[in-house]
Amino acid sequence: MGLSEDERWALIDEISRQTVKSGGYKQTLGDVLGELTVKPLTGIPVAIGVLYAFWSIFGSFAGALMTDGFMVKFFDRYLLPWIQGMWPDPGTWLYFIFVGDPVADNCFEAFGVLTSGLFVAIGVVLPAVLIFYLMMTVLEDSGYLPRLAVLMDTFLHKIGLHGYAIVPTILGLGCNVPAVTATRILETRKQRFIMMTLLAIFVPCGAQIGIMLKAIPDTIGWVFLYLLIGYGIFGFVLNKVIPGSNPEILIDVPPYHLPAWENVAKKMWNRTKGFLKEAVPFVLFGVLIVNLLYLGGVIQWLSDALAPLFVYWFGVPKETTGPLIAAFLRKDLAVAQLAVIPMTAYQMISSVVLVSIYFPCVATFVVMLKEGWKELVAAVGVLICVVFLYGGLIHLIGILLGVA
Amino acid sequence: MKTEHTAVSIYVGIIGMATLLLGLAQILVFAGGTELTVGIMTVPNDFFRGAWGGLVVAFAGALMLSGVREIGDIQQFSKVVLGAILVWIIAGCDIFAMICESIPAGEEAPAFFNSLPGFISGFAPPYAPAVLLLPFSLVIACLIRRWGSSDT
Repeated sequence: MGLSEDERWALIDEISRQTVKSGGYKQTLGDVLGELTVKPLTGIPVAIGVLYAFWSIFGSFAGALMTDGFMVKFFDRYLLPWIQGMWPDPGTWLYFIFVGDPVADNCFEAFGVLTSGLFVAIGVVLPAVLIFYLMMTVLEDSGYLPRLAVLMDTFLHKIGLHGYAIVPTILGLGCNVPAVTATRILETRKQRFIMMTLLAIFVPCGAQIGIMLKAIPDTIGWVFLYLLIGYGIFGFVLNKVIPGSNPEILIDVPPYHLPAWENVAKKMWNRTKGFLKEAVPFVLFGVLIVNLLYLGGVIQWLSDALAPLFVYWFGVPKETTGPLIAAFLRKDLAVAQLAVIPMTAYQMISSVVLVSIYFPCVATFVVMLKEGWKELVAAVGVLICVVFLYGGLIHLIGILLGVA
Repeated sequence: MKTEHTAVSIYVGIIGMATLLLGLAQILVFAGGTELTVGIMTVPNDFFRGAWGGLVVAFAGALMLSGVREIGDIQQFSKVVLGAILVWIIAGCDIFAMICESIPAGEEAPAFFNSLPGFISGFAPPYAPAVLLLPFSLVIACLIRRWGSSDT
Protein backbone atom coordinates (compact mmCIF):
# COMPACT_ATOMS: atom_id res chain seq x y z
CA MET A 1 0.00 0.00 0.00
CA GLY A 2 1.50 3.36 -1.06
CA LEU A 3 1.80 6.55 0.96
CA SER A 4 -0.50 9.46 0.35
CA GLU A 5 0.91 12.77 -0.82
CA ASP A 6 0.70 14.30 2.68
CA GLU A 7 2.36 11.29 4.22
CA ARG A 8 5.18 11.46 1.70
CA TRP A 9 5.78 15.14 2.50
CA ALA A 10 5.68 14.35 6.21
CA LEU A 11 8.25 11.62 5.69
CA ILE A 12 10.49 14.00 3.72
CA ASP A 13 10.22 16.58 6.52
CA GLU A 14 11.14 13.96 9.09
CA ILE A 15 14.17 12.73 7.14
CA SER A 16 15.29 16.33 6.55
CA ARG A 17 15.00 17.12 10.26
CA GLN A 18 17.20 14.15 11.10
CA THR A 19 19.83 14.56 8.39
CA VAL A 20 20.13 18.24 7.39
CA LYS A 21 21.90 20.70 9.62
CA SER A 22 21.70 24.40 8.91
CA GLY A 23 23.86 27.21 10.21
CA GLY A 24 25.78 30.31 9.15
CA TYR A 25 28.82 30.01 6.91
CA LYS A 26 32.02 31.48 8.25
CA GLN A 27 34.88 31.89 5.82
CA THR A 28 38.08 30.24 7.03
CA LEU A 29 41.67 31.14 6.27
CA GLY A 30 41.90 28.05 4.05
CA ASP A 31 38.87 29.19 2.03
CA VAL A 32 40.37 32.63 1.41
CA LEU A 33 43.76 31.17 0.50
CA GLY A 34 41.97 28.86 -1.93
CA GLU A 35 40.25 31.86 -3.54
CA LEU A 36 43.45 33.90 -3.71
CA THR A 37 45.28 31.16 -5.59
CA VAL A 38 42.77 31.24 -8.46
CA LYS A 39 42.69 35.02 -8.84
CA PRO A 40 45.27 36.09 -11.47
CA LEU A 41 46.81 38.93 -9.44
CA THR A 42 47.65 36.74 -6.46
CA GLY A 43 47.45 33.32 -8.13
CA ILE A 44 50.10 33.90 -10.81
CA PRO A 45 52.86 34.74 -8.27
CA VAL A 46 51.92 31.61 -6.35
CA ALA A 47 51.99 29.53 -9.56
CA ILE A 48 55.46 30.92 -10.38
CA GLY A 49 56.54 29.98 -6.83
CA VAL A 50 55.07 26.48 -7.02
CA LEU A 51 56.74 25.81 -10.38
CA TYR A 52 60.02 27.08 -8.94
CA ALA A 53 59.67 24.62 -6.05
CA PHE A 54 58.78 21.83 -8.49
CA TRP A 55 61.97 22.26 -10.52
CA SER A 56 64.16 23.09 -7.55
CA ILE A 57 63.23 19.86 -5.76
CA PHE A 58 63.49 17.94 -9.03
CA GLY A 59 67.03 19.28 -9.66
CA SER A 60 68.22 18.84 -6.08
CA PHE A 61 66.95 15.29 -5.68
CA ALA A 62 67.44 13.85 -9.16
CA GLY A 63 70.54 15.88 -10.11
CA ALA A 64 72.61 16.75 -7.03
CA LEU A 65 71.68 13.87 -4.74
CA MET A 66 70.98 10.79 -6.84
CA THR A 67 72.68 11.16 -10.24
CA ASP A 68 75.72 13.33 -9.40
CA GLY A 69 75.97 12.21 -5.79
CA PHE A 70 75.69 8.44 -6.08
CA MET A 71 74.95 7.12 -9.56
CA VAL A 72 77.84 8.74 -11.45
CA LYS A 73 80.29 7.43 -8.85
CA PHE A 74 78.82 3.94 -8.90
CA PHE A 75 78.64 3.64 -12.68
CA ASP A 76 81.95 5.35 -13.55
CA ARG A 77 84.09 4.07 -10.70
CA TYR A 78 82.78 0.54 -10.28
CA LEU A 79 80.49 -0.67 -13.07
CA LEU A 80 82.36 0.67 -16.11
CA PRO A 81 85.87 -0.59 -15.13
CA TRP A 82 84.33 -3.92 -14.10
CA ILE A 83 82.54 -4.42 -17.43
CA GLN A 84 85.58 -3.19 -19.39
CA GLY A 85 87.77 -5.65 -17.48
CA MET A 86 85.38 -8.58 -17.74
CA TRP A 87 84.54 -8.31 -21.44
CA PRO A 88 87.12 -10.04 -23.62
CA ASP A 89 88.77 -8.46 -26.67
CA PRO A 90 87.92 -4.73 -26.97
CA GLY A 91 88.41 -4.90 -30.73
CA THR A 92 85.25 -6.89 -31.50
CA TRP A 93 81.93 -5.51 -32.70
CA LEU A 94 80.20 -7.14 -29.73
CA TYR A 95 82.39 -5.08 -27.40
CA PHE A 96 81.49 -1.92 -29.36
CA ILE A 97 77.77 -2.65 -29.06
CA PHE A 98 77.62 -3.72 -25.42
CA VAL A 99 80.52 -1.87 -23.76
CA GLY A 100 81.19 0.92 -26.25
CA ASP A 101 84.35 3.02 -26.41
CA PRO A 102 87.17 0.97 -24.77
CA VAL A 103 89.06 4.09 -23.59
CA ALA A 104 86.01 5.90 -22.15
CA ASP A 105 86.35 6.74 -18.46
CA ASN A 106 82.68 7.50 -17.87
CA CYS A 107 79.41 5.83 -18.75
CA PHE A 108 78.04 8.96 -20.39
CA GLU A 109 80.58 8.77 -23.20
CA ALA A 110 81.14 5.01 -23.49
CA PHE A 111 77.87 4.46 -25.35
CA GLY A 112 77.45 0.73 -24.96
CA VAL A 113 74.20 -1.06 -24.14
CA LEU A 114 75.47 -2.16 -20.72
CA THR A 115 77.29 1.10 -19.92
CA SER A 116 75.48 4.19 -21.25
CA GLY A 117 72.24 2.26 -21.68
CA LEU A 118 72.07 1.23 -18.03
CA PHE A 119 73.43 4.56 -16.81
CA VAL A 120 70.78 6.56 -18.67
CA ALA A 121 67.93 4.25 -17.66
CA ILE A 122 68.82 3.62 -14.01
CA GLY A 123 71.28 6.34 -13.09
CA VAL A 124 69.51 9.32 -14.62
CA VAL A 125 65.96 8.50 -15.65
CA LEU A 126 64.81 6.52 -12.62
CA PRO A 127 65.53 9.21 -9.97
CA ALA A 128 64.09 11.91 -12.26
CA VAL A 129 60.88 9.98 -12.84
CA LEU A 130 60.46 9.05 -9.17
CA ILE A 131 60.68 12.61 -7.87
CA PHE A 132 58.64 14.00 -10.76
CA TYR A 133 55.72 11.68 -10.11
CA LEU A 134 55.92 12.26 -6.36
CA MET A 135 55.55 16.01 -6.79
CA MET A 136 52.94 15.68 -9.50
CA THR A 137 50.83 13.47 -7.22
CA VAL A 138 51.22 15.83 -4.25
CA LEU A 139 50.08 18.78 -6.40
CA GLU A 140 47.13 16.74 -7.65
CA ASP A 141 46.03 15.41 -4.27
CA SER A 142 46.51 18.65 -2.32
CA GLY A 143 44.00 20.45 -4.55
CA TYR A 144 46.47 22.81 -6.24
CA LEU A 145 46.27 21.32 -9.75
CA PRO A 146 42.59 22.25 -10.34
CA ARG A 147 43.43 25.81 -9.23
CA LEU A 148 46.30 25.93 -11.70
CA ALA A 149 43.81 24.75 -14.34
CA VAL A 150 41.47 27.65 -13.54
CA LEU A 151 44.38 30.08 -13.59
CA MET A 152 45.66 28.86 -16.97
CA ASP A 153 42.20 28.74 -18.57
CA THR A 154 42.35 32.17 -20.22
CA PHE A 155 45.75 31.55 -21.80
CA LEU A 156 44.93 28.02 -22.90
CA HIS A 157 41.68 29.19 -24.55
CA LYS A 158 43.82 31.34 -26.86
CA ILE A 159 45.44 28.16 -28.20
CA GLY A 160 42.19 26.26 -28.57
CA LEU A 161 42.34 24.41 -25.26
CA HIS A 162 40.92 24.94 -21.78
CA GLY A 163 42.32 24.99 -18.25
CA TYR A 164 42.38 21.23 -17.78
CA ALA A 165 44.87 20.95 -20.66
CA ILE A 166 47.43 21.80 -17.98
CA VAL A 167 47.05 18.22 -16.68
CA PRO A 168 48.33 16.43 -19.82
CA THR A 169 50.93 19.18 -20.27
CA ILE A 170 52.42 18.67 -16.79
CA LEU A 171 51.97 14.92 -17.06
CA GLY A 172 53.88 15.10 -20.36
CA LEU A 173 56.82 16.64 -18.52
CA GLY A 174 57.04 13.26 -16.78
CA CYS A 175 56.23 10.99 -19.72
CA ASN A 176 54.36 11.71 -22.96
CA VAL A 177 52.74 8.26 -22.99
CA PRO A 178 50.24 8.76 -20.12
CA ALA A 179 49.93 12.41 -21.19
CA VAL A 180 48.57 11.41 -24.62
CA THR A 181 46.05 9.17 -22.89
CA ALA A 182 45.14 12.05 -20.55
CA THR A 183 44.10 14.18 -23.55
CA ARG A 184 40.78 12.29 -23.33
CA ILE A 185 39.72 14.69 -20.58
CA LEU A 186 39.39 17.37 -23.29
CA GLU A 187 35.94 17.69 -24.83
CA THR A 188 36.31 18.02 -28.59
CA ARG A 189 38.37 16.28 -31.29
CA LYS A 190 39.94 19.62 -32.14
CA GLN A 191 41.15 20.10 -28.57
CA ARG A 192 42.45 16.55 -28.32
CA PHE A 193 44.33 16.89 -31.62
CA ILE A 194 45.92 20.23 -30.67
CA MET A 195 46.93 18.89 -27.27
CA MET A 196 48.36 15.66 -28.66
CA THR A 197 50.35 17.53 -31.32
CA LEU A 198 51.72 20.07 -28.85
CA LEU A 199 52.67 17.27 -26.45
CA ALA A 200 54.50 15.35 -29.14
CA ILE A 201 56.40 18.42 -30.29
CA PHE A 202 56.97 20.88 -27.46
CA VAL A 203 56.76 19.00 -24.17
CA PRO A 204 60.02 17.24 -23.21
CA CYS A 205 59.64 14.20 -20.95
CA GLY A 206 61.15 13.80 -17.47
CA ALA A 207 63.86 11.46 -18.72
CA GLN A 208 64.93 14.01 -21.31
CA ILE A 209 64.86 16.81 -18.75
CA GLY A 210 66.97 14.71 -16.38
CA ILE A 211 69.59 14.20 -19.08
CA MET A 212 69.43 17.88 -20.08
CA LEU A 213 70.11 18.86 -16.45
CA LYS A 214 73.17 16.63 -16.53
CA ALA A 215 74.41 17.48 -20.02
CA ILE A 216 73.53 21.16 -20.50
CA PRO A 217 72.83 22.61 -17.03
CA ASP A 218 73.77 26.16 -18.04
CA THR A 219 71.63 26.42 -21.15
CA ILE A 220 68.60 24.32 -20.25
CA GLY A 221 66.64 27.53 -19.52
CA TRP A 222 67.02 28.64 -23.17
CA VAL A 223 65.82 25.28 -24.43
CA PHE A 224 62.71 25.58 -22.25
CA LEU A 225 62.15 29.15 -23.39
CA TYR A 226 62.21 28.11 -27.07
CA LEU A 227 59.86 25.20 -26.37
CA LEU A 228 57.47 27.41 -24.38
CA ILE A 229 57.38 30.04 -27.12
CA GLY A 230 56.83 27.32 -29.73
CA TYR A 231 54.00 25.82 -27.61
CA GLY A 232 52.27 29.22 -27.61
CA ILE A 233 52.86 30.18 -31.25
CA PHE A 234 51.98 26.85 -32.86
CA GLY A 235 49.07 26.29 -30.48
CA PHE A 236 47.68 29.67 -31.57
CA VAL A 237 48.19 28.81 -35.26
CA LEU A 238 46.62 25.35 -34.89
CA ASN A 239 43.62 26.88 -33.13
CA LYS A 240 43.09 29.23 -36.10
CA VAL A 241 43.63 26.58 -38.77
CA ILE A 242 41.82 23.54 -37.40
CA PRO A 243 38.03 23.55 -37.57
CA GLY A 244 36.01 22.63 -34.49
CA SER A 245 34.80 24.09 -31.23
CA ASN A 246 36.51 25.03 -28.01
CA PRO A 247 33.81 24.90 -25.34
CA GLU A 248 33.96 26.40 -21.85
CA ILE A 249 34.18 24.01 -18.91
CA LEU A 250 33.14 24.03 -15.29
CA ILE A 251 35.82 22.83 -12.90
CA ASP A 252 35.05 21.57 -9.43
CA VAL A 253 37.78 23.08 -7.24
CA PRO A 254 38.16 21.12 -4.00
CA PRO A 255 39.37 22.76 -0.77
CA TYR A 256 43.08 22.46 0.05
CA HIS A 257 43.91 19.39 2.10
CA LEU A 258 46.88 17.25 3.04
CA PRO A 259 47.31 14.40 0.56
CA ALA A 260 46.61 10.89 1.84
CA TRP A 261 50.09 9.36 1.73
CA GLU A 262 48.75 5.91 0.93
CA ASN A 263 47.15 7.27 -2.23
CA VAL A 264 50.29 9.20 -3.11
CA ALA A 265 52.42 6.06 -2.75
CA LYS A 266 49.98 3.99 -4.84
CA LYS A 267 49.73 6.53 -7.64
CA MET A 268 53.48 7.06 -7.69
CA TRP A 269 54.20 3.35 -7.81
CA ASN A 270 51.72 2.73 -10.63
CA ARG A 271 53.07 5.60 -12.72
CA THR A 272 56.72 4.74 -12.12
CA LYS A 273 56.14 1.04 -12.80
CA GLY A 274 54.40 1.79 -16.08
CA PHE A 275 57.16 4.15 -17.08
CA LEU A 276 60.00 1.79 -16.24
CA LYS A 277 58.39 -1.06 -18.14
CA GLU A 278 58.57 1.04 -21.27
CA ALA A 279 61.67 3.15 -20.65
CA VAL A 280 64.35 0.65 -19.70
CA PRO A 281 63.85 -1.75 -22.64
CA PHE A 282 63.56 1.16 -25.08
CA VAL A 283 66.78 2.80 -23.84
CA LEU A 284 68.75 -0.45 -24.08
CA PHE A 285 67.19 -1.28 -27.44
CA GLY A 286 67.87 2.28 -28.61
CA VAL A 287 71.59 2.05 -27.84
CA LEU A 288 71.71 -1.34 -29.57
CA ILE A 289 70.06 -0.05 -32.75
CA VAL A 290 72.16 3.12 -32.90
CA ASN A 291 75.38 1.14 -32.39
CA LEU A 292 74.34 -1.33 -35.11
CA LEU A 293 73.59 1.57 -37.45
CA TYR A 294 77.01 3.05 -36.67
CA LEU A 295 78.70 -0.29 -37.35
CA GLY A 296 76.78 -0.69 -40.62
CA GLY A 297 77.84 2.79 -41.77
CA VAL A 298 74.20 3.93 -42.01
CA ILE A 299 74.65 6.86 -39.62
CA GLN A 300 77.72 8.07 -41.55
CA TRP A 301 75.83 7.80 -44.84
CA LEU A 302 72.83 9.68 -43.45
CA SER A 303 75.10 12.33 -41.89
CA ASP A 304 76.70 12.98 -45.28
CA ALA A 305 73.39 12.94 -47.14
CA LEU A 306 71.63 15.28 -44.70
CA ALA A 307 74.65 17.49 -44.04
CA PRO A 308 73.43 20.46 -46.15
CA LEU A 309 70.09 20.48 -44.34
CA PHE A 310 71.63 20.27 -40.89
CA VAL A 311 74.52 22.64 -41.47
CA TYR A 312 72.85 25.35 -43.58
CA TRP A 313 69.18 25.24 -42.58
CA PHE A 314 69.34 24.24 -38.89
CA GLY A 315 72.88 25.51 -38.23
CA VAL A 316 74.00 22.41 -36.33
CA PRO A 317 76.87 19.96 -37.04
CA LYS A 318 76.10 17.09 -39.41
CA GLU A 319 76.99 14.62 -36.62
CA THR A 320 73.60 15.37 -35.01
CA THR A 321 72.03 12.93 -37.51
CA GLY A 322 72.90 9.97 -35.24
CA PRO A 323 71.22 11.45 -32.15
CA LEU A 324 68.17 12.39 -34.23
CA ILE A 325 67.77 8.76 -35.25
CA ALA A 326 68.19 7.69 -31.63
CA ALA A 327 65.58 10.29 -30.67
CA PHE A 328 62.89 8.25 -32.35
CA LEU A 329 63.64 5.45 -29.87
CA ARG A 330 64.45 7.55 -26.80
CA LYS A 331 64.89 11.33 -26.65
CA ASP A 332 66.91 11.18 -23.44
CA LEU A 333 69.36 8.90 -25.21
CA ALA A 334 69.63 11.38 -28.06
CA VAL A 335 70.44 14.28 -25.72
CA ALA A 336 73.10 12.12 -24.06
CA GLN A 337 74.63 11.50 -27.50
CA LEU A 338 74.49 15.20 -28.40
CA ALA A 339 76.37 16.09 -25.21
CA VAL A 340 79.57 14.47 -26.49
CA ILE A 341 79.51 16.07 -29.97
CA PRO A 342 81.79 19.15 -30.12
CA MET A 343 79.71 22.26 -30.90
CA THR A 344 79.07 25.83 -29.74
CA ALA A 345 76.63 26.61 -26.91
CA TYR A 346 74.03 27.96 -29.35
CA GLN A 347 74.37 24.91 -31.62
CA MET A 348 73.82 22.76 -28.55
CA ILE A 349 70.64 24.68 -27.67
CA SER A 350 69.40 24.38 -31.29
CA SER A 351 70.23 20.66 -31.41
CA VAL A 352 68.44 19.88 -28.14
CA VAL A 353 65.39 21.88 -29.27
CA LEU A 354 65.47 19.97 -32.57
CA VAL A 355 65.63 16.64 -30.76
CA SER A 356 62.62 17.72 -28.69
CA ILE A 357 60.48 18.89 -31.58
CA TYR A 358 61.64 16.49 -34.25
CA PHE A 359 59.56 13.36 -33.57
CA PRO A 360 57.76 11.77 -30.64
CA CYS A 361 59.59 8.74 -29.23
CA VAL A 362 58.30 5.41 -30.48
CA ALA A 363 56.31 4.70 -27.28
CA THR A 364 54.41 7.99 -27.67
CA PHE A 365 53.99 7.23 -31.36
CA VAL A 366 52.29 3.91 -30.54
CA VAL A 367 49.92 5.52 -28.03
CA MET A 368 49.06 8.26 -30.53
CA LEU A 369 48.28 5.57 -33.07
CA LYS A 370 45.87 4.00 -30.58
CA GLU A 371 44.07 7.35 -30.34
CA GLY A 372 43.44 7.30 -34.09
CA TRP A 373 45.59 6.89 -37.22
CA LYS A 374 44.11 9.94 -38.94
CA GLU A 375 45.10 12.13 -36.00
CA LEU A 376 48.57 10.58 -35.99
CA VAL A 377 49.13 11.22 -39.70
CA ALA A 378 47.90 14.82 -39.31
CA ALA A 379 50.11 15.31 -36.23
CA VAL A 380 53.16 14.02 -38.11
CA GLY A 381 52.34 16.41 -40.96
CA VAL A 382 52.19 19.33 -38.54
CA LEU A 383 55.37 18.10 -36.88
CA ILE A 384 57.35 18.05 -40.14
CA CYS A 385 56.25 21.62 -40.91
CA VAL A 386 57.12 22.74 -37.37
CA VAL A 387 60.59 21.17 -37.45
CA PHE A 388 61.50 22.94 -40.67
CA LEU A 389 59.93 26.28 -39.79
CA TYR A 390 60.90 26.47 -36.13
CA GLY A 391 64.32 24.85 -36.59
CA GLY A 392 65.10 27.38 -39.32
CA LEU A 393 63.71 30.24 -37.23
CA ILE A 394 65.95 29.33 -34.26
CA HIS A 395 68.95 29.32 -36.61
CA LEU A 396 67.88 32.71 -37.98
CA ILE A 397 67.55 34.14 -34.45
CA GLY A 398 71.08 32.86 -33.72
CA ILE A 399 72.41 34.54 -36.89
CA LEU A 400 70.69 37.83 -36.00
CA LEU A 401 72.11 37.68 -32.47
CA GLY A 402 75.53 36.83 -33.87
CA VAL A 403 75.82 33.57 -31.90
CA ALA A 404 74.96 30.95 -34.53
CA MET B 1 43.05 44.32 20.16
CA LYS B 2 43.60 47.31 17.89
CA THR B 3 47.04 47.97 19.44
CA GLU B 4 47.93 44.33 18.81
CA HIS B 5 46.88 44.63 15.16
CA THR B 6 48.99 47.77 14.80
CA ALA B 7 52.04 46.00 16.23
CA VAL B 8 51.50 43.04 13.88
CA SER B 9 51.02 45.42 10.94
CA ILE B 10 54.30 47.18 11.71
CA TYR B 11 56.14 43.86 12.04
CA VAL B 12 54.69 42.47 8.81
CA GLY B 13 55.38 45.79 7.08
CA ILE B 14 59.05 45.62 8.02
CA ILE B 15 59.36 41.95 7.00
CA GLY B 16 57.44 42.61 3.79
CA MET B 17 59.65 45.54 2.86
CA ALA B 18 62.83 43.56 3.61
CA THR B 19 61.51 40.62 1.56
CA LEU B 20 60.62 42.85 -1.38
CA LEU B 21 64.02 44.57 -1.33
CA LEU B 22 65.93 41.30 -1.08
CA GLY B 23 63.92 39.84 -3.97
CA LEU B 24 64.66 42.86 -6.13
CA ALA B 25 68.32 42.68 -5.09
CA GLN B 26 68.44 39.06 -6.30
CA ILE B 27 67.06 40.08 -9.69
CA LEU B 28 69.56 42.97 -9.93
CA VAL B 29 72.45 40.67 -8.98
CA PHE B 30 71.37 38.26 -11.73
CA ALA B 31 71.26 41.16 -14.20
CA GLY B 32 74.71 42.28 -13.03
CA GLY B 33 76.12 38.79 -13.49
CA THR B 34 78.36 38.60 -10.39
CA GLU B 35 77.47 36.69 -7.23
CA LEU B 36 77.24 38.95 -4.18
CA THR B 37 78.19 37.90 -0.64
CA VAL B 38 77.57 40.23 2.28
CA GLY B 39 78.33 38.81 5.73
CA ILE B 40 76.30 35.61 6.14
CA MET B 41 74.14 36.32 3.09
CA THR B 42 74.91 35.32 -0.47
CA VAL B 43 72.86 36.41 -3.46
CA PRO B 44 73.14 33.87 -6.31
CA ASN B 45 73.64 35.16 -9.84
CA ASP B 46 72.25 32.21 -11.85
CA PHE B 47 68.91 32.42 -13.65
CA PHE B 48 67.12 29.84 -11.56
CA ARG B 49 67.99 30.76 -7.97
CA GLY B 50 68.85 34.37 -8.76
CA ALA B 51 66.24 35.68 -11.18
CA TRP B 52 63.36 33.20 -10.82
CA GLY B 53 63.83 32.74 -7.05
CA GLY B 54 64.30 36.50 -6.63
CA LEU B 55 61.07 37.16 -8.51
CA VAL B 56 59.17 34.85 -6.16
CA VAL B 57 60.76 36.50 -3.09
CA ALA B 58 59.83 39.93 -4.46
CA PHE B 59 56.23 38.74 -5.04
CA ALA B 60 56.21 37.43 -1.45
CA GLY B 61 57.25 40.86 -0.15
CA ALA B 62 54.64 42.60 -2.30
CA LEU B 63 51.91 40.26 -1.06
CA MET B 64 52.87 40.87 2.57
CA LEU B 65 52.86 44.62 2.06
CA SER B 66 49.49 44.51 0.31
CA GLY B 67 47.99 42.81 3.37
CA VAL B 68 49.46 45.13 6.01
CA ARG B 69 46.52 47.55 6.17
CA GLU B 70 43.58 46.28 8.25
CA ILE B 71 45.42 43.08 8.98
CA GLY B 72 42.62 41.94 11.30
CA ASP B 73 40.44 41.38 8.21
CA ILE B 74 40.67 37.78 6.98
CA GLN B 75 41.09 38.83 3.33
CA GLN B 76 44.06 41.05 4.19
CA PHE B 77 45.63 38.58 6.59
CA SER B 78 45.40 35.85 3.93
CA LYS B 79 47.58 37.92 1.60
CA VAL B 80 50.21 38.16 4.34
CA VAL B 81 50.00 34.39 4.85
CA LEU B 82 50.33 33.79 1.11
CA GLY B 83 53.47 35.98 1.05
CA ALA B 84 54.92 34.04 3.99
CA ILE B 85 54.12 30.73 2.26
CA LEU B 86 56.11 31.88 -0.78
CA VAL B 87 59.09 32.70 1.47
CA TRP B 88 58.78 29.25 3.07
CA ILE B 89 58.66 27.61 -0.35
CA ILE B 90 61.88 29.29 -1.52
CA ALA B 91 63.67 28.81 1.80
CA GLY B 92 62.50 25.20 1.98
CA CYS B 93 63.87 24.55 -1.51
CA ASP B 94 67.21 26.16 -0.59
CA ILE B 95 67.48 24.04 2.57
CA PHE B 96 66.47 20.91 0.66
CA ALA B 97 69.20 21.68 -1.90
CA MET B 98 71.74 22.02 0.94
CA ILE B 99 70.65 18.65 2.37
CA CYS B 100 70.85 16.95 -1.04
CA GLU B 101 74.32 18.37 -1.70
CA SER B 102 75.59 17.44 1.77
CA ILE B 103 74.52 13.78 1.89
CA PRO B 104 76.90 12.36 -0.76
CA ALA B 105 80.68 12.55 -0.30
CA GLY B 106 82.59 14.69 -2.81
CA GLU B 107 83.34 13.44 -6.32
CA GLU B 108 86.93 12.53 -5.47
CA ALA B 109 86.18 10.91 -2.10
CA PRO B 110 86.24 7.09 -2.09
CA ALA B 111 83.11 6.78 0.12
CA PHE B 112 79.59 7.24 -1.15
CA PHE B 113 78.22 9.02 1.94
CA ASN B 114 79.60 12.17 3.52
CA SER B 115 81.03 12.04 7.06
CA LEU B 116 78.97 13.66 9.83
CA PRO B 117 81.27 16.72 10.10
CA GLY B 118 81.22 17.00 6.29
CA PHE B 119 77.43 16.79 6.29
CA ILE B 120 77.08 19.46 8.97
CA SER B 121 79.59 21.77 7.26
CA GLY B 122 77.26 21.79 4.26
CA PHE B 123 74.90 23.97 6.30
CA ALA B 124 77.48 26.62 7.14
CA PRO B 125 76.84 30.22 6.03
CA PRO B 126 76.54 32.14 3.76
CA TYR B 127 72.81 31.62 3.13
CA ALA B 128 70.42 32.73 0.41
CA PRO B 129 68.12 35.68 1.31
CA ALA B 130 65.01 33.49 1.70
CA VAL B 131 66.77 31.30 4.28
CA LEU B 132 67.66 34.39 6.32
CA LEU B 133 64.07 35.63 6.07
CA LEU B 134 62.70 32.27 7.21
CA PRO B 135 62.96 32.69 11.03
CA PHE B 136 61.39 36.16 10.85
CA SER B 137 58.54 34.95 8.65
CA LEU B 138 57.81 32.05 11.00
CA VAL B 139 56.17 34.59 13.31
CA ILE B 140 53.35 34.55 10.75
CA ALA B 141 52.94 30.81 11.41
CA CYS B 142 52.28 31.68 15.07
CA LEU B 143 49.74 34.27 13.94
CA ILE B 144 48.01 31.61 11.80
CA ARG B 145 47.73 29.34 14.87
CA ARG B 146 46.30 32.17 16.93
CA TRP B 147 43.87 32.99 14.12
CA GLY B 148 42.80 29.33 14.01
CA SER B 149 42.20 29.19 17.78
CA SER B 150 40.21 32.43 17.77
CA ASP B 151 38.17 31.09 14.83
CA THR B 152 36.92 28.03 16.70
